[in-house]
Amino acid sequence: MANTHNERLKRLIYQTLLIRRIEERVIELYPSDKIQSPVHLSIGQEPVAVGLCEPMTARDVLFTTYRGHAYYVAKGGKLPELMAELYGRKGGVSGGKAGSMHLAAPEVGMMGSSAVVASTIPHAVGAALAAKVRGDKQAIITIFGDGAIEEGVYHESLNFASLHKLPVLFVCENNALAVHTPLRERQAFDIVTHAKAYNINTTVIEDGNDLIKIADTSAKLLESLRSGGGPEWLMIKTYRYKEHVGPGDDFDSGYRSRAEMEKWLATDPLYRWADLVKEMEADVKSEIDRAVAFAEASPAPGLADLLTDVE
Amino acid sequence: MTHQAQPTALSYREALFKAMHDAMALPNTLVFGQGVNDHKGIFGTTTGLGEKFGKNRMIEVPLAEEGVTGICIGAALNGAYPINIHIRADFVLLAMNQIINLAAKYKYMFGGLFDVPMLVRLVIGRSWGQGAQHSQSLQSLFAHIPGLRVIMPASSGAIVDSYAHAVQHHRGPVISLEHRLMYDLTFERDHEPTVLGKTPFSQRRVRKGNDVTVVSTSIMSLEARRAADWLADRGVSCDVIDLHCVSHIDANVIMESVGRTGRLLVADTSWQPYGVGAEICRIVCERDPGALKAPVVTLGMAAAPCPTAKSLEDIYYPNLTTLTDSIAKLVRGKADHGIELPHERSMADVYKRFKGPF
Ligand SMILES: Cc1ncc(C[n+]2csc(CCOP(=O)(O)OP(=O)(O)O)c2C)c(N)n1
Ligand SMILES: [Mg+2]
Repeated sequence: MANTHNERLKRLIYQTLLIRRIEERVIELYPSDKIQSPVHLSIGQEPVAVGLCEPMTARDVLFTTYRGHAYYVAKGGKLPELMAELYGRKGGVSGGKAGSMHLAAPEVGMMGSSAVVASTIPHAVGAALAAKVRGDKQAIITIFGDGAIEEGVYHESLNFASLHKLPVLFVCENNALAVHTPLRERQAFDIVTHAKAYNINTTVIEDGNDLIKIADTSAKLLESLRSGGGPEWLMIKTYRYKEHVGPGDDFDSGYRSRAEMEKWLATDPLYRWADLVKEMEADVKSEIDRAVAFAEASPAPGLADLLTDVE
Repeated sequence: MTHQAQPTALSYREALFKAMHDAMALPNTLVFGQGVNDHKGIFGTTTGLGEKFGKNRMIEVPLAEEGVTGICIGAALNGAYPINIHIRADFVLLAMNQIINLAAKYKYMFGGLFDVPMLVRLVIGRSWGQGAQHSQSLQSLFAHIPGLRVIMPASSGAIVDSYAHAVQHHRGPVISLEHRLMYDLTFERDHEPTVLGKTPFSQRRVRKGNDVTVVSTSIMSLEARRAADWLADRGVSCDVIDLHCVSHIDANVIMESVGRTGRLLVADTSWQPYGVGAEICRIVCERDPGALKAPVVTLGMAAAPCPTAKSLEDIYYPNLTTLTDSIAKLVRGKADHGIELPHERSMADVYKRFKGPF
C-alpha cells in the first residue's frame, strides 16, 4: 500500500510524526529534571504547524508563541539545537537563555517566541511593513491562540495591517481553550465576523487534522500576500491533547472530557496513516536520539555567559 | 478578629486563601483573574470561592489586562472593592497605563474627590526556567509612582494582616508582589517578624542585632534570616529588617538600626539600578551618611534579563552563600574574613518543593 502514498503526504506525515515524538520524548525526559523549563506541548496540534509551514520558504518570516516546539521544527529549525535549548545548555539555539518558551531560528525565518500572550502579533505587522517598504516578496505569518484574540493589541494589529494592506497572514490556532477556560466563557463575539469587520479576508478550516487542506490553503494565502493582496486571516480549529503547560494529561480535572479528545483522535493523521508512520518510526527515533545525545554532551553555560548579549 | 481563632501555623498559600476568603465574605468585594474559577484556582488561593460566594463576584476574565484593570478602577469608584490577580507580575505590564496614569492619579488629580480602593496581586516567578518574561520583580517600577502602596509580603502573617487592612481600611490602590517560591512554606505565628509601626503595612524586624543592618524584601528576608542565624553562631549579630512595604519606608526604622550597627547591606529580589537598595541609600545619605562605618553593600539580580538555564539562573540571583559571605565581608572589613560559609549554591533547590512546570 505504502507506494500509493505520494511523496508530499509522506513528507507531511514525517514532520508531524517527528514533532509528536519529540514532544513525547520531552514527556519521557521530564521526570529526570533535565528539562527545567515550563513546556507548552503541541501534541494534537502538530498538523496545523506542519501544514502551514509547508509552502513557506526560509525567507518567509514566522512569529509564534510559547507553544512553539512544533513551529520550530516545521519551519526547519535544527533538532540538536532545540534539544540543547530545552536542556538549558550552551549548544542550544540561544545558549540556554531562552528555554522552551522563547524558541527562535532566524536562519529559517522563525523569529523569537514570546511568553506574553499576543505580544508578537504586532511584530508580524511591523515585519510586513518593512517587507513592503523594501519591495520584498516575503510573506509574514503570525500564529496565536484563541485567547490572544481578547487582547487589545490584536485589534490594533488587524486595523493597522488592513489600513496599510500589509503582506501578513494572521493565523488563529483555535483550540477553544485559554489555559482551562473555554472560549464561550471568554468571548461574547464571533471571531470570524469580527476579523471581517477590519476588511480582511477570512478563511476557516474546521479540521485541524487535515494536513493537505491546511498546506494548500496556506500556499494559496501566501501567494495572495506575495501578489500584494493585503492581509489574510485564517482560523484553524484544533485540539490540545495534553495539559496547558507541563507533561501530563488533565482529563480528570473536570474542565474537559476525554471523549472530546477521542473525537479528534479519529482524524489524527498519525493514526490515519499508521502504515506510513510505522515505516518512519526508526528514522524519526534516530533523529531524536542524535539531538538528545547532542544536548546531553553540551556543557552548561556559566559565569562567562551570564552578562553577554544584554545590550 | 479573635487571636485564639487563628491557627498557629499557615502556609503562604493558605494565608492567601484565607485572605481571599475573608475578602469575599464582604458583600462588595470583586475578585478578577484569569483562572480564578478553574480547578487550579490561582495556585489554590481562590479554589472553591466562586462556588461559595458566587461567580458574579469571583470573576473569570478574558485575556484583557488593561481593560480589566480599568474595569476594576470603575468598580472601585462606584462602591466595590476589586482584587485583580495576575499569575505572573510580568503580565501587569500590559495594564501599566491604567495603574499609573489612572489608579495612582485619580485621588490627587481631582483634588481628593475620589478614592480608588483596590488590590492588585502579582506573583513573582522564579526557578524551573521561568526565563525573562515570567520572573520579573517589578517593585521599583510601582514604588516610584506616588499614589501607589507597594507591599511584598514575606510571611503568612504579612499576607493575612495586610490584605485585611487593604480591603477593610486602606482607601487607595495597593500593589502586592507575592513570591511563587514561598507558596509552599509554612510560617509559625510565634515566629512572625515584629511589626515596627502602626499598621500592617509597616516595616518588620526579623531579627535584632548590633553588627550590621540587613534590609531585605520578599524572599530575601527569609534568606537574610537564614544567613543571620548562621552568622549568629559564628559571632556576627545581624539586625534584619523586612521592608514589606517598599513604597512607604519609615526612615526612623532604618536610621535607628544603622545608627546602632554602622553597617548596611540591602538584599532585594530585583535589579539594583534605581531599586530598593538605591532608595535605602538615599534615606541614609540624606539623613546621616556619617552613621556608616563602611560602604553600603547591595545585592540583587544580575544586570541582565533572567536566563532560563538553571546553571545561569543559580548565579543570576544571590544565594545563601553569597549573602552570608557579603555580610561577613562587610562586618569583618575584608574578603578573607575567616568565617565559615554555608554551602548552598541554589536557592531554588532549597525553597523548591517547587518543581515546575509553572
Ligand atoms: C498577557 C498575558 N496574560 C496572561 C498570560 C498567562 N497565559 C499564558 S497562556 C494563556 C492562555 C492563552 O490561550 P491561547 O491564546 O488560546 O493559546 P493556547 O495556550 O491555547 O495555545 C494565558 C492566559 C500570559 N502569558 N500573558
Ligand atoms: Mg487556545
